[in-house]
Amino acid sequence: MLVVNVAACGSDDDKKDGPESFKGQTLTLWAMDGSTPEQWTKDVKAAFEKKTGAKLKLEVQQWNGIQQKITTALSESDPPDVIEVGNTQTPAYAATGGLADLSDLKKGLGKDWTPSLNKSAVYDGKQYAAPWFAVNRTVIYNKKIWAEAGIKGIPKTRQEFFDALEKIEKKTDAEPIYMPGQNWYFLDGLIIGQDADLVKKKGGKWVSNLADPKVGKAMEIYKKYASYSKAPKNKDEATPQQAEVFAKGRTGAFIGLSWEAATAIEANKKLEKDIGYFTIPGETADKPEGVFLGGSNLAVAAGSEKQELAKEFLKIALSDKFEGAMAKESGVIPNKTALQSNLKGNPAAEAAAPAVENGGLTPLIPEWGAVENPPNPIKTYMTSVLNGKSHDTAAKAVEDEMNKRLAQKQ
Amino acid sequence: MRRSLLGRIWPNATALVLFVGFAFPVYWMFNTAFKPNGQIISETPVWFPTSPTLDHFETAVEAENFWTLVRNSVTVTVLAVGFSLVVALFAAFALARMRFRGRKGIVLTFMVAQMAPWEVMVIAIYMIVRDADMLNSLVPLTLFYTVMVLPLTIITLRGYVAAVPKDLEESAMVDGCTRLQAFRRVIFPLLAPGLMATSLFGFITAWNEFPLVLILNKDDQAQTLPLWLSKFQTAFGDDWGATMAAASLFAIPILLLFLYLQRKAVAGLTSGAVKG
Amino acid sequence: MSVQTREAPPRKRRPAAAPRAAGPQPGEGRRADKATLPYLLLLPALALTAVFLGYPLVTNGMLSFQNLNMTQLIQHVTEWNGFANYTDTLSNEEFWRVTLRSVIFTAVNVVVIIVVGTLIGLLLARLGPRMRLLLSVALVLAWAMPIIAATTVYQWLFAQRFGVVNWVLAELGFESMADYNWTGTQLSTFFVISLLLVWTSVPFVAINLYAATTTIAKELYEAAALDGAGAWQSFKCVTLPFLKPFLLVATFLEIIWIFKAFPHVFAINEGGPNRLTETLPVYAFVEGVGGQHYGTGAAISVLTILILLALMAYYLRIVLRQEDADETENDGEMA
Repeated sequence: MLVVNVAACGSDDDKKDGPESFKGQTLTLWAMDGSTPEQWTKDVKAAFEKKTGAKLKLEVQQWNGIQQKITTALSESDPPDVIEVGNTQTPAYAATGGLADLSDLKKGLGKDWTPSLNKSAVYDGKQYAAPWFAVNRTVIYNKKIWAEAGIKGIPKTRQEFFDALEKIEKKTDAEPIYMPGQNWYFLDGLIIGQDADLVKKKGGKWVSNLADPKVGKAMEIYKKYASYSKAPKNKDEATPQQAEVFAKGRTGAFIGLSWEAATAIEANKKLEKDIGYFTIPGETADKPEGVFLGGSNLAVAAGSEKQELAKEFLKIALSDKFEGAMAKESGVIPNKTALQSNLKGNPAAEAAAPAVENGGLTPLIPEWGAVENPPNPIKTYMTSVLNGKSHDTAAKAVEDEMNKRLAQKQ
Repeated sequence: MRRSLLGRIWPNATALVLFVGFAFPVYWMFNTAFKPNGQIISETPVWFPTSPTLDHFETAVEAENFWTLVRNSVTVTVLAVGFSLVVALFAAFALARMRFRGRKGIVLTFMVAQMAPWEVMVIAIYMIVRDADMLNSLVPLTLFYTVMVLPLTIITLRGYVAAVPKDLEESAMVDGCTRLQAFRRVIFPLLAPGLMATSLFGFITAWNEFPLVLILNKDDQAQTLPLWLSKFQTAFGDDWGATMAAASLFAIPILLLFLYLQRKAVAGLTSGAVKG
Repeated sequence: MSVQTREAPPRKRRPAAAPRAAGPQPGEGRRADKATLPYLLLLPALALTAVFLGYPLVTNGMLSFQNLNMTQLIQHVTEWNGFANYTDTLSNEEFWRVTLRSVIFTAVNVVVIIVVGTLIGLLLARLGPRMRLLLSVALVLAWAMPIIAATTVYQWLFAQRFGVVNWVLAELGFESMADYNWTGTQLSTFFVISLLLVWTSVPFVAINLYAATTTIAKELYEAAALDGAGAWQSFKCVTLPFLKPFLLVATFLEIIWIFKAFPHVFAINEGGPNRLTETLPVYAFVEGVGGQHYGTGAAISVLTILILLALMAYYLRIVLRQEDADETENDGEMA
């Protein structure tokens, strides 16, 4: 094909996908820290540069302050061309008009995108991004401690899980589970598991639904988990990194993402053979716990002058070949169910996959982003429940703040 | 006045306690940076790095673009400090030695300028720079840093200029020097320690500046070291070893500069700061 | 003109203003420098300040009258909304709470810094040369520590797990401190922030104050001793008057620094827990940048500037009075 195009030399053809047309151009990709595995990046880059003749410049972004950074970047005359946007944040950016319409990509490339993953990329009926990958939490546990406590087999229900934690507490000196007070995405999973919603429409406006008893039920489960932990009640799982705590080898389990297990192993090589994974068990054995399907979409900046080139990149990066390779290399959930076979042999991803079906997200409204801005009122709510306040009182205390944020002018 | 034994012991004892209190955080930073991970995350603190390692420093230095960032930081800091010293010297000379209409107002302006809350003006600055199409450039950074340190530099330098006995200048002029020559040959040498002391403030401010560069220079070729340091904080989470190694590397130039200039700085700062 | 080095022990003086002999009235004997030279010398400084500080300030002021959020910023739209940002902010209880908190926070820290700094400065004057060098080096290390490095180190020192402070406290017998969460409550978070601020700010006061004391002539103390003055009296009558102008300036600078302190407060706990340690600059940042409501953030920052100006009005007056005194004295000298 490459040869044909060069030989054809027709200017019209060149513009479509010939290497000549994009020669000398550089496509800038903003990806978040940890999103782009090494081999995948190398291969995609090579394939992209070969096909288009353009260069790919990957700039790895830190999570800290990323929203402001993306907002200002989108306002610039020379924005990054392709941007990784967190799936929960996508609707807010779509609403600003800063993202390009990718509806035509959906028709071809995106025919089989998993509907639950694609949901976040659609706003107002238009496709503003392409689902890239998702991740969800599993139980990561220390087999040695579980053996010490005499636990056999993997818990199939939530109650069995609690029983196991109880045993660890009684029979060992280890901390049964590390559960900081503000692991809010775990709570979100529990809320999804309870079929509850965090917001509701009232008089044409979104308002908090935190006071819903179903949310209270989810928080009760959370509290039960936290009762087996000495972790700080007002911190999230990143401060300190729960994997680092787990790495010390005196923690029975934690709820985390697969990369966190890797972090733990890196900190303590001896742990590698003791580390195990299982799907977070739900109320009954046939249905795992609800999980938050965190993930990322790839979007194209509306202000980018390289729209066509950007789409070329998406077509390569999100092709079955590379999407599968990505799943294989970093154990993330790919954007098509059919590609999940790539997760075979990766125990963490295999434990994560069964929960995807029941996975969910945070409310997909542009207004939601403001709620998660620090200080996240839901985290405040979690800490106060864990410190002894009732669900109703704690929810009431932050609902005004939540409603205020939901009502903010966009 | 003879002092009792107790009277001699307690100042020294207090000084020792204070020494530990003030030096410990700095010591702990270096200590952690040299310790292998096993000794950092440990139930009992390891007070001395018994098996020192340079691994953390390697991690810190091997970060992408590290040397570009070093170059950027040094360029911006040195230029901003140099620029502000020159500009401030003119202004300080006028304010200390000349009488003119509006002098008080100008002194007041610089006093108030010293209060500017730069961190909360970043969006306004960002929009100005964006609309001037100067993003991802070291030029606006240098200029903004210059102005950030300018007021205090002027105020402090004015004290130094004023502290130079006027007679010296006048006698030089009597000896046939022009005012400029008098300045260059007589006043400037006397001001040198003052200039160095003043430059310390500037160095610290410019070297540390974070919010502005974060928003103005998104291109990682155009960033400075504070961004690199903060990257360590977030990217490595609890990798305290690498974080402390990065913090050490970041702090060393300023620490050395300070220790080197300390004597001159102290001697001069008083006269300058007092005038503040 | 440096006060320490040239001023004789003060006799009578106006309060607050630097001890200066009364000279001829202002205006008398004003020396005629070439009229334009001072303006020429000041031009670069003033021009730079106007362009790179004045203009952003004005822009910031204009933004404070706009509805400026993500969409407007990305689309480059200007949406004027009058005083809405100001009325929203001023009618927000939270704003006033934060303001009060900022003022108290500043007052407490400045007092601690000045008192501790003065005491350490006087201690330096009393120490032998070797101990003095040792302590000075420690002070300079703390002083020179870049803010970002310092906040990182403090987070590590006070880390809940594996932090050395908790370990030491537990070893000292405070068992409950073994896993103490320093950022868990408002008070303990402020404690860490204040400790960090004091640690970085005291060296400036102490070292300069010590340097100032070295310029006090020994004879003055001897004279005071002959007059039968005790340690306290000689401190009050000889040392303090010398240090007063310096302390005044140090207080002026510390108030500004502490009130504006942003990285210290933000880095330790991002204004948490529960937004209870937000000071005004942090509040402006969280509302404006964090919440992406840049217009509101601009309004808060304008209010912050006004509050700081109000706080400093007293000092600015003193400074102006001192300027008058200087002019008078200089004119006297030149006359």
